[in-house]
Amino acid sequence: MSEIENIHVIWLPGQACTGCTVSLLNASHPNLLDLLTGFIPQAAGVTLDYHATIMLPWGDEALSAVNAAEKGELAPFVLVLEGAIPDESKAKETGGYWCVIGEDEEGNPITFNDRLDRLAKNAAAIVCAGTCASFGGIPSGKPNPTGAKGAMDYLGKDWKSSLGIPIINVPGCPAHGEHMAETLAYAVLAMRGFLPLPALDEHNRPLFLFEHTAHENCPRAGLFADGKNSHEFGEPYCMGTMGCKGPISHCDVPKRGFIEGVGGCPSMGSPCIGCTEPEFPDPPFSPFLSKAPASFFVYEKIRSFGGSADAVWCRIKDALIGRDL
Amino acid sequence: MVEKKITIEPVTRIEGHLGIHATADMDGKKYTDARSFGTMFRGWEIILQDREPADAIWITQRVCGVCPTPHGIAAAMTVDMAYQAPPPPMGIAVRNLIQGAEQLYDSPLGCLILEGPDYSQAVVEKSNPDWWDAAKITESPKTEFHGFATIADIMTALNPISGALWQKSLAIGKVGRKMAALLGAKHPHVNTLVPGGVAKTLTPTDLEQYAAMLAQHVAFAKEFIPVMDDLLDFVLSMGYSECGARENNMVSFGGYDDPTAYNTNYAEMGDWAKKRSVSPGVIIDGKLKTQDLIEINVGVQEMVESSYFDDWEDVRVNEDPLGNPLTKYHPWNKYTKPHPGAYAKWDGKYSWGTSVRWLDWKGNSELNTVELGPIARMWATAIGKLVPESTGTSLKFALPKATIIPYRNAEAMEFEWKVPEKVNTVERIRARAYYHAYSAYVLYLTVLAGLGLVKDGKAKIWNKYSKAKNGLGVGMHEAMRGGVAHWCIMKDGKIENYQIMAPSTWNSGPKLGESDLGPYEAAVIGSPISEVGEITGLDVVRTIRSFDPCLGCSIQVYSGDKKIVHIPEI
Repeated sequence: MSEIENIHVIWLPGQACTGCTVSLLNASHPNLLDLLTGFIPQAAGVTLDYHATIMLPWGDEALSAVNAAEKGELAPFVLVLEGAIPDESKAKETGGYWCVIGEDEEGNPITFNDRLDRLAKNAAAIVCAGTCASFGGIPSGKPNPTGAKGAMDYLGKDWKSSLGIPIINVPGCPAHGEHMAETLAYAVLAMRGFLPLPALDEHNRPLFLFEHTAHENCPRAGLFADGKNSHEFGEPYCMGTMGCKGPISHCDVPKRGFIEGVGGCPSMGSPCIGCTEPEFPDPPFSPFLSKAPASFFVYEKIRSFGGSADAVWCRIKDALIGRDL
Repeated sequence: MVEKKITIEPVTRIEGHLGIHATADMDGKKYTDARSFGTMFRGWEIILQDREPADAIWITQRVCGVCPTPHGIAAAMTVDMAYQAPPPPMGIAVRNLIQGAEQLYDSPLGCLILEGPDYSQAVVEKSNPDWWDAAKITESPKTEFHGFATIADIMTALNPISGALWQKSLAIGKVGRKMAALLGAKHPHVNTLVPGGVAKTLTPTDLEQYAAMLAQHVAFAKEFIPVMDDLLDFVLSMGYSECGARENNMVSFGGYDDPTAYNTNYAEMGDWAKKRSVSPGVIIDGKLKTQDLIEINVGVQEMVESSYFDDWEDVRVNEDPLGNPLTKYHPWNKYTKPHPGAYAKWDGKYSWGTSVRWLDWKGNSELNTVELGPIARMWATAIGKLVPESTGTSLKFALPKATIIPYRNAEAMEFEWKVPEKVNTVERIRARAYYHAYSAYVLYLTVLAGLGLVKDGKAKIWNKYSKAKNGLGVGMHEAMRGGVAHWCIMKDGKIENYQIMAPSTWNSGPKLGESDLGPYEAAVIGSPISEVGEITGLDVVRTIRSFDPCLGCSIQVYSGDKKIVHIPEI
């Protein structure tokens, strides 16, 4: 596959807020311009053929690449979805629509869903930018007025692209800019055969980004282990007692920061709200200031007890038998 | 008359899903009719119902990822009031710093990445060749400050991706969001705003780090404003002053609260809002009608005659907490019933947007069609005489010395934004640029005030509160695109009604009755057709983009009758 010269990107917004687009501008290594100019020859040749927020043309002209991709005349292309996918059959009941992108030749509206159906048939890969495209996000929050859902629910969990690649979810509200840029570059290198496909977790999130919880990644976890909890906002200790959902959320922001190492939710003193998780923004993540279920801490204590016993035993062993390293 | 109807869908380089249907008079070379229509709906206010009010601080930011922070702040103010949880002064100072950081990123994004390419070589050389010929031989009056010799050089720098100004905006914008992340944990969608203040462990060097990044924006402003002045003055000189013009009717809610004046008392809102660094005000025909934020609040009306919603009958609250009369169209009373309808039905319901007007309830009882935006708040502040920088006809301030490599102008620089004769496409963009410099100035003073609070031992940024069960809240201030306002009715600790009104709700809304057009629509009508060749709607999109549309914001939600709008998950 390494002979693929150009890889096109269609960035299609559904029920989106553009937050993931703005967040992509936060990416560092690589950043957006690196992705477009190609920072090494193996990653070069990526063209952004449709992105409504930053492209020069407007109206019909803007959609020419999308129309070509729908007809199979633009290949290969990566479809990046931003925003949730509504249930248009509900809007049709009263003769209307939830989300439209452009018109056909007769001036009839084309829904986002129609475009997604056609593009999914030809896409070389689908990357979901953010929690809305991945899992439905806030538009799908109870009572889900528009029947919003994520791409995996809409296209089917077993959906695979023409290249045999499953949907890759990069959740987060918004998705982390570095997560998106690293995943897109990874996808390009994988399509060209320079990397294996990324290992994904049960929710199709790349393990290299989402294997560990925010709690495991949090600089304050050490203080928690030492029994120090915050009881007021502003305190520098564990935020679990102030509503942090870090123990049940998979995210590396506490460790990585948000923009070039700056920021990070619980690590700065604000509770994690679980924005990378499929149930967000509903319970157990909301109310956001409510505390995460206590059961987690019981299991953690059991594991922690085992870990402490291991740490003590290793030291006794050194003293009794001698150090092997 | 040779008429041509064009539909531009999607309007790109904006936030969200928007279409414009316009009628062009090809003989008279101008636009004679226009309809603005939002093409996406999600249902935020319905999703907010029955949740804990504090959750609105996180959820409402997600209506828009371009301008989330103002929603977070408006929600925090609304919930502060409903809970009666007043933050300490440092909490307000830090909220201002987070809010302002976003303005610093959002202004160059609007001017140079969203709107700028409409004046780039790539567009102008093809569509306005006469402008391009003139630009090549027009020297930039302020070359010494920005380094571009001719106007054509500035236009070339605005080409997407390859242009120097386009790229610079990308880089400096990131610094703005990084400042927001420093105190807000992340951006977009900051995470540290809570009722009663800010959830951030303030470190001894936070303000210092913030100031170092602010200095980059100070240095940037000293190139950015001169370059925008040169470009925009040139565009005006090409006979463009009628493009996007409409009457000088505007509203500003004011912004950047005084840390020692802000409180959670509705009765005092009119007083503390007057102490903001950006002044509130209703401007009719260029003149101030009122500066009282309570009077402004009571006059807000939202109607759905041309929108995909059904009207409602009930009135929840007859008067505000001071006994001022509220109509059924005031947001506290809004019941919205989403009702998806046919596409492109220009004489009926044609948009997911709504028609918002300001009722002069104390005066002549007229419904005023007003626009919101940087030009409205700069105008209100300049003529308001509530801040020392206001001269009555201009806003005058100076940015301090900042030696930042590789920027050109280290020395302190004076800026003066003068009230223009009329609101039009060019002046909306100019006001957006100047608001960057004014924000940098306000934030510099805020950093100094913050250091003073720390020195005085007042570094506490959050006050403990006990949550009330019932309450009423409102939070009104300025987002980049204009005033943003939230309203909440809390019952038994849960949201009974939550309403979000963004600036683009006012600006992008559909017509009311036969002739009362929304601001986008009115601004397009009368605009000249400057482009040559096949008509693409260039002057229309320039006008629409001068408002810096944010459709995600304007069409979020609408709390409705749950029985009607509840759609079970499938």
